[in-house]
Amino acid sequence: MGMEILGLVGLSSVFGLIGLVLAGWMAWRIVEKSGLPGWAGLGAILLTLTGIGTIVPLILLWVFAFMRWPRDEMASAAPGAPARPSSPAALPPPPAALADRRPWRLSGLSASGPVALSMDGTQPTYLLTGAAVHQANELSVPDPTVGQPHARLFVSGGRLGLEDLGTPGGTRIDGARLLPGHGPRDISAARVVHVGTVELALSRA
Amino acid sequence: MDLIAWLLGLGVSLFIFGAVVLHLLTALVLIIPTWRICTRAGFSGALSLFHLVPLIGPFIVMGVLAFSDWPNGEAPAGKR
Repeated sequence: MGMEILGLVGLSSVFGLIGLVLAGWMAWRIVEKSGLPGWAGLGAILLTLTGIGTIVPLILLWVFAFMRWPRDEMASAAPGAPARPSSPAALPPPPAALADRRPWRLSGLSASGPVALSMDGTQPTYLLTGAAVHQANELSVPDPTVGQPHARLFVSGGRLGLEDLGTPGGTRIDGARLLPGHGPRDISAARVVHVGTVELALSRA
Repeated sequence: MDLIAWLLGLGVSLFIFGAVVLHLLTALVLIIPTWRICTRAGFSGALSLFHLVPLIGPFIVMGVLAFSDWPNGEAPAGKR
């Protein structure tokens, strides 16, 4: 009986030792990955062997979880890392609304004849399409190079925005190509917009 | 005799209940910081619930954190 108990104690001691070595190794690696020296993790585990018990390693675990890791500082200081605005105040202000609220007008010549589109702001967005108009917010430019739909127009604060929807004909603002990835662009100061091969002059009605 | 057996049963039940409560409290003290460590590393915080598994649970969590690549990135090897 005595030998059995001794064997059990010995076995649990062996398991305990293996567990301690494993825990120390893993703690070393985890702490290293966060950018801190690995020995700090090993040391925290080895503290359980001392008279301090487990309370100090437990406190260290909480400190480690909520402290600032060097890894995060390295990531933010790395070249090419996107800079984070510190506060919303650092963001550029939105474009100011225009006092002039006259309707916008796009006019030009398509394959089917003259085109005159008016955007009076009664709709927040308009869909520019090469097909026939079915809804109030659709604007038709009947031409084979114009997509169905081709682009989206936004009227807000007296300003006019344009977004390309990725059709093969393409969209240009004063000669510069507008891609779908560019998102909506303010074209209030533009003079000419190309949708496909159709040239449309921008003006106020 | 019945009374002794009843008292013994009550004692064992209370001991088991106390052990379970103690285990849950200990696990909770470990789960909270480990949840944060897991999410900061890029893993699901639910990984820390392995602490509820007696004996080997903490080793599983530590093993995943120690031996797999962190989705949110690690400190470069040269800077460690």
